Amino acid sequence: MSTETAGPGGPSAVDSLTAAQLDALREVGNIGAGNAATSLSRMVGHPVAMTVPCVRAVPLHHVPAAVAGDDEAVIVAIHLGVLGDAHGHIMFVMTVDDAKEIAASALQGMHPGDPDLFGLGDMERSALGEIGNILTSAYLIAMTTVTGLRLEPSPPQLGVDMAAALIGDVLTDVAATGNTALLIETEFEEVDDPVCGTFLFIPTADGLRRVLDGLGVAP
Amino acid sequence: MSTRVLTPRGTSPVGQTIKVGLGVLAVSDEKGKGLTALGLGSCIGVAAYDPVARVAGMVHVMLPDSAIATVPGPAGKYADTAIPALVEAMRRAGAEPTRLVVKIAGGAQMFASGGGNLNIGARNAIAVRAALTRAGLRVKAADTGGTFGRTLEMWVDDGRVTVRAVGREPAAL
Repeated sequence: MSTETAGPGGPSAVDSLTAAQLDALREVGNIGAGNAATSLSRMVGHPVAMTVPCVRAVPLHHVPAAVAGDDEAVIVAIHLGVLGDAHGHIMFVMTVDDAKEIAASALQGMHPGDPDLFGLGDMERSALGEIGNILTSAYLIAMTTVTGLRLEPSPPQLGVDMAAALIGDVLTDVAATGNTALLIETEFEEVDDPVCGTFLFIPTADGLRRVLDGLGVAP
Repeated sequence: MSTRVLTPRGTSPVGQTIKVGLGVLAVSDEKGKGLTALGLGSCIGVAAYDPVARVAGMVHVMLPDSAIATVPGPAGKYADTAIPALVEAMRRAGAEPTRLVVKIAGGAQMFASGGGNLNIGARNAIAVRAALTRAGLRVKAADTGGTFGRTLEMWVDDGRVTVRAVGREPAAL
């Protein structure tokens, strides 16, 4: 039995980040996620904490399991494209149970709507999309403040399915320009729930260059 | 008996099932082994089998066309390079290309107005079929499109293929 690698997997900005660049990305992720956590706390009506962002370059075929634990794990993913001066993708990833809890906090007693295959009602889906919108806007506003880049989210889209299917779809946008994806990743935590969701920013190769430039640590 | 896995960085096969992740190409003639592309969304899993040589191959295609690549990637990532690479890897493992039975799954639209790329699932399906035609192969069975993820699994012993999806019964393809 043998294992072979196919090709050199050419270098891109993602593969050769310096310690100073990683620190700067972690800091901008920290400021963005801090602002997003404050917004989420306000929406669900109780404190939401967050972990210090983890910044890592992950080979594409390992990304779904790195984020969700398993390629086939069923997740709820809210996706927003990042447009403007630097392109990329935002994903807010949760288990179905955590998504229902977060949606229930936001709906404050309103009827969740008729459940789909995964037990999520249309009101819950809509509330989750709105939460994705609010989190992302807060994250991008903080990033704009730090980098000076004009950043806008596309409308939120919700998917519920196997992790590899949803995350793999989003990765198609970074696959043409690299064999690794840069994940700027923060976990949100509630008092009674160690992890209630993972918030990811995945810049495109060009988007990453612009963010680094905006942070004054250009390659 | 051997199993070869082509990956961007190298994937170690674990147990009886070899994971065929994003952009990965794997070929095996080991009895008892299975090849699995887990959670195909807009990607296409291509399963090929030579029933005489009992050689199985699978590739997990992410994008339609290698012309858009700005850095070298594994052949398995793009439809136009994945199919010739799959046929060649299987031929080297003892398969006869004209005997290959080909089945495909995936090519869904996971987000209503496109996630990473607009209509990428449908474009992948078209590109994979075109590349198979260029290689002189026809698709025996396909389960593509829709708005849900699929897991494609093939067994080396007899080439049987199943498709799994969340909330559905596993079905033979």
